Amino acid sequence: MPSRRELLRRAAIGVAVTTALGAGALAWSSTLLGEYSVMTMGVGHSGDTHAGYDGHAEHGTSRPGASAASGTAGDASDVDVTSLAADPDRPADVRVELVARQDTVEVSGGHPIEGYTVNGMSPGPELRARQGDLVEVALVNESVADGATLHWHGIDVPNAADGVAGITQDAVPVGGRHVYRFEATDAGTYWYHSHQVSHEQVEGGLLGAIIIEPASPADTAAGLEATALLHVYGGQHTLNGRVADERVDASPGETVRVRVINTDQGTAAVWSAAPFRVLATDGHEVNEPTDVDGQRLLIPAGGRADVAVQAPPGGEAARLHVGGARSILIGDPEASVPPAARQPSETLDLLAYGTQTPLSFDPATPERSFDYVIARRFGLIDGRPGNFWTINGRMFPDVPMFHVSEGDVVVMRIVNDSGDVHPMHLHGHHIVVLSRDGVAASGSPWWVDSLDVHPGESYEIAFVADNPGIWSDHCHTLGHAVDGLVAHVMYEGVSTPFTINGAAGNRPE
Amino acid sequence: MRKIYAGLAWIIAGGVVVQAAAIAFAFGGVLNRVSNGDVVDKALLESGGAGGTGELGFWIHGIVGGGVIPLLAVALLVGSFFVRVRGAKLWAAITLGLVALQVTLGFSITDMPYLGLIHGANALAIVVAAVIAALRIRGERISRTPAEEATSDAVAA
Repeated sequence: MPSRRELLRRAAIGVAVTTALGAGALAWSSTLLGEYSVMTMGVGHSGDTHAGYDGHAEHGTSRPGASAASGTAGDASDVDVTSLAADPDRPADVRVELVARQDTVEVSGGHPIEGYTVNGMSPGPELRARQGDLVEVALVNESVADGATLHWHGIDVPNAADGVAGITQDAVPVGGRHVYRFEATDAGTYWYHSHQVSHEQVEGGLLGAIIIEPASPADTAAGLEATALLHVYGGQHTLNGRVADERVDASPGETVRVRVINTDQGTAAVWSAAPFRVLATDGHEVNEPTDVDGQRLLIPAGGRADVAVQAPPGGEAARLHVGGARSILIGDPEASVPPAARQPSETLDLLAYGTQTPLSFDPATPERSFDYVIARRFGLIDGRPGNFWTINGRMFPDVPMFHVSEGDVVVMRIVNDSGDVHPMHLHGHHIVVLSRDGVAASGSPWWVDSLDVHPGESYEIAFVADNPGIWSDHCHTLGHAVDGLVAHVMYEGVSTPFTINGAAGNRPE
Repeated sequence: MRKIYAGLAWIIAGGVVVQAAAIAFAFGGVLNRVSNGDVVDKALLESGGAGGTGELGFWIHGIVGGGVIPLLAVALLVGSFFVRVRGAKLWAAITLGLVALQVTLGFSITDMPYLGLIHGANALAIVVAAVIAALRIRGERISRTPAEEATSDAVAA
């Protein structure tokens, strides 16, 4: 028979353990997200520089209860995201149907993987439009069990066509169809990919290239061009879907514009033994690009770069390394394969590349000013424990909501206080880099939609809020977005009827 | 409870051995891939598969180091409050502290590779701390008399 004291001790332990378990279960369940609308997400953040205080502004500031997660958030007077669309009466200039399938991807030159195809292949067909065209793409989901969408990465489409499941549409279920319409406003190199369970579907190959040709061929544009879409399929580095290098037939001295598209989850390096030029980043031309010699160009995950390479005048071939594993050989197709060049350790700094030219807006007096500070700590997201990303010190879903009004000039400071590089991607807008670590941009305006922010770096970027809607602003190492590295830019007076985790099964990340 | 405490401590020590084996296996796989002409770059790292044959080693190292051992170390510290053994709390706390440091170092190596030097050395410190914790029980079992039991808690962690 235990003593009274021992009994008391056991009882105390029992109460302590029960209390601890109960508190733990309560804390755990409080992180469960359930069905929610991005409208109700995050910490309100007006960033209004004129009001002088950036705290809890006119919009919903507190986290919602279940009542707000019914998909009816927002005022009746709000503009619905689905109405933010291209002119419905305008006939399409380019009309395409893309059929998505959950399928075996036959990787040419490698082994097949279980993934996704578009029109029976991966990468999907390369779409081409001319600047000013109205593009209409119908997505048909034939067999993607989780549902699928198409996001037009880098194209500043109207919000209704942004293709983010749970924000601008419901994921297209098997047997479903969804039409995307947008005007191809800016010429350049872009890509499309699913934005439903994107970390799986993009890795699995639900993607393709889309090129918007200039209305009038630019002077810097070479006559010849080639697309270099990089993707890793089940550990196999591919170039345009093949585990092989490619040749581009070019006459001696002829220049080829190589459109490099990084569809992977990490930075891709581009380099060559011969000098090359960077003509464009993320679909925006560089002003007066100069020769890059002995340096490599780094393209963030999701980013693109158009690179000009000249075929050697002597009739051989030049080798442009695209990504670590693949190359494009430019020149005489019969020429012997040039040896691989060692990757330069020095990186081209786009902050000081090309020649300065005035911006179309003045970022010195922004209407909004935001911080986007990335760090990492242990915690729970949706009941799942892990070492997760934080934005401005808070973990998903308590991340900031960047409220803007149409016409605002927005300045954002992106700081990486974590140990990993983050390719930050803002939907629906292009951002211009103002400075990095306090050093002002001194080259051509560096316009991007995907920007690598390395550990310890601090970027100041700016954009004009000229495309109303609700826009994701997330890391394009897509596993990081799953782990909470996603926030949103929300325009005043815009609302969405769509929800995440609801009956439609929307899971954008 | 003593058996559980000692068992946890031994498993933590053994877990560190698993960690060393797993990461050596993983880097063997990387070197093997590279020597076969493959390229390991950021794209491959982020999509998994950089380890080739040794890929499982990365998984084991991540799961055991990022999840299993930290949870066991917390359990060891909790358990130490229920065993009345001199130094049990202290060594459980030291073990947990070293494990916390180890995880932090592990997540920071990509940014600051020199931390790898400490990460490797600290692994041995965890083994030592966990083994000392386990041996407290055995030592107590040999020397302990019932009269001493009541006072052994006086040594706080």
